[in-house]
Amino acid sequence: MMNDTEKYKVTKKDRRKAAIRYNFMACNLFNYESQMGPAVAWSMAPVLRKIYKNDDDYKAALNNHFNYYNSTTVMSSMILGATLAMEERDGIQAKDAVQSLKTSLMGPLAGVGDTLVWVLWPTIMGSISGYMALQGNPLGAIIWLVANIVFWFVKLKLFDVGYTSGTKLITSLGNKLTIFTEAASIMGLSVVGGLIATVVKISAPVKFQFGKVALNLQTGVFDKIMPALLPALLTFLIFKLLGNKKWTPTRVILLVIAISLVGTFLGIFKA
Amino acid sequence: MSGIQILQDILIIILAGYMTIDQNGLVIMSWFPVIVGTIAGIIMGDLTTALTIAGTFQLMMLGVAALGGASAPNYGLATIIGVFIATRTGTGIKSAIAVGLPVGLLAIQLEVVARIIANFLAHKMQSDNNKSSWKKMNLEAWLGPILFSLQTALPAALIVFFGPEVVTFILKVVPKWVTDGLTVAGGMLPVVGIGMLLHYMPVKKFLPYIIVGFVFAAYLNIGVLGIALIGFAAAYWYFFSESKKATEVETASASGVQDDDEGDDYDE
Repeated sequence: MMNDTEKYKVTKKDRRKAAIRYNFMACNLFNYESQMGPAVAWSMAPVLRKIYKNDDDYKAALNNHFNYYNSTTVMSSMILGATLAMEERDGIQAKDAVQSLKTSLMGPLAGVGDTLVWVLWPTIMGSISGYMALQGNPLGAIIWLVANIVFWFVKLKLFDVGYTSGTKLITSLGNKLTIFTEAASIMGLSVVGGLIATVVKISAPVKFQFGKVALNLQTGVFDKIMPALLPALLTFLIFKLLGNKKWTPTRVILLVIAISLVGTFLGIFKA
Repeated sequence: MSGIQILQDILIIILAGYMTIDQNGLVIMSWFPVIVGTIAGIIMGDLTTALTIAGTFQLMMLGVAALGGASAPNYGLATIIGVFIATRTGTGIKSAIAVGLPVGLLAIQLEVVARIIANFLAHKMQSDNNKSSWKKMNLEAWLGPILFSLQTALPAALIVFFGPEVVTFILKVVPKWVTDGLTVAGGMLPVVGIGMLLHYMPVKKFLPYIIVGFVFAAYLNIGVLGIALIGFAAAYWYFFSESKKATEVETASASGVQDDDEGDDYDE
């Protein structure tokens, strides 16, 4: 067999190339059927060609990677690094093991990765830099941009980590990451609590006239009960609505716009 | 139209198109409003206005994430369009929200179309693999980024070419309560992102931390950074105490059971 006679040794340059290709293409070939599958196949194609000198093996290996795949790019870098090590060692015999490793890890690792990369990090950076921007300060945006560039290189590095440490590390890391994600969620939720009070802007400065006594609904009633009462109530309402499958985010956004328009027309809200 | 304006038009369309490619892959500027808004502001030569608009959309977007292939309103495109319209027509934040927001909402539909077309592309690539035409397969992949960039570049181009005049006209016709109402909506809309966010996160388990954050902000007026630090302190404590517990459990079970089964981490 081909594999036994001359095994190709994957170089650092090969890995770097595959990692760069993946961390560029990622969702740029995203489709509803195989999701990130084509991007994975395309990213691994050059290095796999070197491993599989036999055309039929190469074809089969690529088709294996064309299958359904979806995970956070950070975690994918590690997973694909690990599968590359498997294919380098066992050739086409690793096909089924590669597939099952990918399908078994992409879900749990995406859960952790998405929470950190797409939810917590943008929430914390977004709220800080968003406020700075409102005060006319671009510094938050610049720091965020620079941090993202650093992250990109970390992702390339993680491909190597997956390649050298293999599956065992990813599995044990998954366990630690769960605790890490929970800890990060604590930080995230504290920030969210603060955001509810400051970012959600709703007030009803409508005045009622009772004979000679004027009562401002906002300062006279709501603010007396508790600060940021309306934002807290609105958040609870929207949270409950979004829990209902019928209420997609877009529909909820349209509802908020409708409430704002009607409220402004009636003079309850003021711009 | 002056030469500078034409250059600005082109750069804004390129920025909008590249934004999607970046969001799908590199995630360096991604579709985050403050980052794309700052760049758009530099292009339009009015950073102050751009930052106000970018900050507003950024706060609206908090918590809005497109996860697992789900589609979410494109606040990044809303920001680019908003900055362009507001600086070109000199109408400020009101027109930015009035024009940017609907465009950002409509862009979701184009994303769905792009992903359906990408399905054909995926099949084409795979059939080329089966035909051993690997060179072709490798080249075809580049159609992906081009396709996805159109999802934001096309709406941007439409607005750039026809927008300013149309917007100036519409703003003259539309009654004040509508533009005021949209500004009110702009203040309220971050609630949708926050509501979505709460659904991704373990709210029930960690509810007290939301209350802590709320009280510090609402009653004590501590800024976001301060609250983030308080949250970090709690997270730090949680991480180390839970890690310690986990290793204790691990060593206890390792000494009790002879065979070390390493696959039991994911049995939930």
